[in-house]
Amino acid sequence: MSSIRPRSAAAYWLAIPAGLWMLAAVVLPTLLILWVSLWGGQSVSPHNPITFDNYTRFLSNANYRWLILETLGQTAMIMGITGVLGYCIAYFLTVKVTSPAWRTALFLAFVIPFWTSTLIRAIAFVPFLGVNGLLNQALLALGLIERPIQAFLYSRLGVSMAQVSLYTLLASGPVVYMLNSIPPALREAAMTLKATPFTVFRRIILPLTLPGIVIGQVLVFLNVLADFITVTTVGGNKLAFLGNLILLFYEGSQIRATAVVSVLLMAVMLAGVAVALRIVDIRKVGG
Amino acid sequence: MAAPPPALPQLDLELRNIRKRYGGYTAVDGVSLQVPKGQFVCLLGPSGCGKTTTLRCVAGLEEPDAGDILIGGREVTRDPPWERDIAMMFQDFALFPHMSVAKQVGFGLEMQKKPRAEIARRVGEVLTAFEIDHLAERRPAQLSGGQKQRVALARAMITEPRILLLDEPIGALDYSLRETVMLELKSLQRRSGISFIWVTHDQNEAFSLGDLVVVMNHARIEQQGKPEEVLSRPRTAFVAGFIQGNNILRGKAAGAEAGLLRVDAPDGLFSVPLRGRPAPPRGSEVSFSVRAERLLESPGPEIGNRLSLRCNVVEYFGAYRRHVLEAKSGALVKYDQFGALPQSVSPGHLVSFGWKTEDGVLHA
Amino acid sequence: MLGARGQRPRARLTMHWKTRSRLTSWLLGAVTIGFLLFQWLPMFTMFLLSFAGENGGTTFPMNGVSLHWYRKLWDADLFDDFKPPMLRSFLLALGCSATTVVLSVSAAQAMRGRFLGSGAYFYLLLLGLMAPGILVGFGFAILTRLLGIEGAWNTTAYVVHVSWALPFGFMTMLAVFNRFDPRLEEAALTLGANRITAFRRITWPIILPGVIGTALFGFSLSYDEYARTLFTAGSDGTLPLAIMAQLDRQLTPELYAIGTVTTVMSLVAIFLCTFAFWLRSRALRGRPTP
Repeated sequence: MSSIRPRSAAAYWLAIPAGLWMLAAVVLPTLLILWVSLWGGQSVSPHNPITFDNYTRFLSNANYRWLILETLGQTAMIMGITGVLGYCIAYFLTVKVTSPAWRTALFLAFVIPFWTSTLIRAIAFVPFLGVNGLLNQALLALGLIERPIQAFLYSRLGVSMAQVSLYTLLASGPVVYMLNSIPPALREAAMTLKATPFTVFRRIILPLTLPGIVIGQVLVFLNVLADFITVTTVGGNKLAFLGNLILLFYEGSQIRATAVVSVLLMAVMLAGVAVALRIVDIRKVGG
Repeated sequence: MAAPPPALPQLDLELRNIRKRYGGYTAVDGVSLQVPKGQFVCLLGPSGCGKTTTLRCVAGLEEPDAGDILIGGREVTRDPPWERDIAMMFQDFALFPHMSVAKQVGFGLEMQKKPRAEIARRVGEVLTAFEIDHLAERRPAQLSGGQKQRVALARAMITEPRILLLDEPIGALDYSLRETVMLELKSLQRRSGISFIWVTHDQNEAFSLGDLVVVMNHARIEQQGKPEEVLSRPRTAFVAGFIQGNNILRGKAAGAEAGLLRVDAPDGLFSVPLRGRPAPPRGSEVSFSVRAERLLESPGPEIGNRLSLRCNVVEYFGAYRRHVLEAKSGALVKYDQFGALPQSVSPGHLVSFGWKTEDGVLHA
Repeated sequence: MLGARGQRPRARLTMHWKTRSRLTSWLLGAVTIGFLLFQWLPMFTMFLLSFAGENGGTTFPMNGVSLHWYRKLWDADLFDDFKPPMLRSFLLALGCSATTVVLSVSAAQAMRGRFLGSGAYFYLLLLGLMAPGILVGFGFAILTRLLGIEGAWNTTAYVVHVSWALPFGFMTMLAVFNRFDPRLEEAALTLGANRITAFRRITWPIILPGVIGTALFGFSLSYDEYARTLFTAGSDGTLPLAIMAQLDRQLTPELYAIGTVTTVMSLVAIFLCTFAFWLRSRALRGRPTP
């Protein structure tokens, strides 16, 4: 027994407000999108017949099909980069840095930007990547390039750089958590059993951190798929992914088309999460 | 004026057929217990035997599925903990980390809405009595294990409950401290007249402290009685095995005569006293025990129960020497020699052993 | 990492394992430091350029050093006055933070009661963590349109913001309760406290640091939220909307100035919070015993 009795009426009363809030603000709106995406007819109205026409119209456009593929490709690329980078950083911070003071300092330097505005961080990439930006200046000064690289800003390269900077922490955080929960004795036990450091890593550390990797990848997957802020700020008007298309349709008052893209995005996300849940049980990770 | 009613033996605690299930798992299965006033009761058993669940039912931290709990003659089965006349000491003390020693010792009185001045006075008295008055302003994190134990005890005792429940109360202490603390708690219990219900898996604690020892296994009470009674007459094979130094022998009942049951065991035919119990039917499986120090080496002809054993190992335990012996059937038998006798049995020896018939204890 | 892989076959033959371990450390360290620079330099650039002179552009080289853009921020004209949106963002974040604390603590406490359906309930709240802002915002916009409700920053946007912060707060509180020892409550109950008193006197003070963390989460998630607000805030926008609108019109160092101001505010909040935690844990540990 504790300050709440199992299965008591109090438990239900305490659970209801948050549950209703989420149903009203997340679940119901999501279902509405699904419904609106099936509205047929000429005018936008719930009284029109249910139809799949909106989907066929959208998917028959080759440009849009290509956009879906591009969004998926971009997401996969960012997942790969942040995954490797995030694991390296997590491993370095938790295993390789032995001084507690240094570890805390580096960890704070890694985490603090996460607590600041994503929008501001994305905007900060503009003066960093521009033709006269810090990156070009630095590369020029080092003599690595002769002329400023135009392609950093307002390009896919720039957007990708910003996204890597924004989302690596998401890939890394769960790995840090899992690495921290491995008792040091395990590594020592494996070493007394004649395992080389690399074998210890491959046979002990990697499998034990796998749930962290998967969760990190899911977080990056969801965020990059739906990211439109980085694309608008760093990518300018030259670039668009599914998220930007949603905004574009919405601003053009094409509610049904907006809904169609939203549902497609949602379907991709659900599929991704379902795959991840097959690999790890998220409920078990929390301990 | 009418004469006062006869002094009935008032019970501090009575459990009537308590049952508690968690899903498909039965934690407590029909436990009944009567605790007269001012008793020291020890609930003894292996982990998972239901002793802690029983204690928590008494505290009101668990609600039994069936049965009645009476504290001081009052039915409290469905009452919440805060309405019961009990206090509890937790395994690793459960001291409130954010309160000073004085604050948490006074917590129980505060809950009783006692005036502030009275709380301060009583806290002062109790802290002095437990010799922790110099720790009054400390936080739990600044206390040693022994100090924490005293604070937890003071916190529980200040409310002067009818019953103090103790869940492995010295399990978290250093081994060297335990004996002193046990003595202190025993004398505290005597002086206060409060009933202690002490849960432990350590038989030394149970037998040295308890007025009443209750041995539990698999959610049931195996045996309850005075310590010497349980020690000398284990009622079941489980109790005999749980208590150190018992040899358990198994066989088939082969008829009874003159208060003795004949047991047909793989290593011989033995006689075990029935002690007024009805004889088990012929051919049924029975077991009995003989204490390791009761075995006799090379017994004389007057000893009826005898068997030959080969010595495997001799171990030294300070106060005694233990021989691990093996019978023809492969059964292992312990033989303890106390005192500074010269060693007479060495590994490899084949020796004849026996025991007096009255040293055999038949199990239910 | 890749470098280490490439060298390994030869390294295995010739290198002592300690040398190899040190080499990996250096490589991983270089990757980490490189990433940290990459992460901080853009913000640093923004800080620097926000102090550019009156004729300063939005890129290097910096034209003079001044507080011009901060002054411009302060006495702004009608079109780029960031103060009202900032005030709205601040109030909205406060409201969202308070609501998140109440809802997350009660939801997590309810989970401790293992009520029927608590498994599904967990996933319901987790859903809010995974649903992207653009979908939630758009869906809620449809909902309000169907109901004929006019969106506003302090009504519709507030509801959606809480739904965004709540899962974070809920997870935080679940983790906090996971580490909380329920026997402390039980001890209070056996000492005569009823459940409400036990929660108020024992549980609440002990989980307080987690509650403060939840409040901070609620504040900063709402304060920085863009996508959800875009669809639900109506005509009077919040700070992120105003920043984005200004970015659409023209990129000026004024944006860098406001970016610097909000970032510094976040840093100060983090610092204060860490300091408070440190003070509190020191108070729990007490002064060192002589």
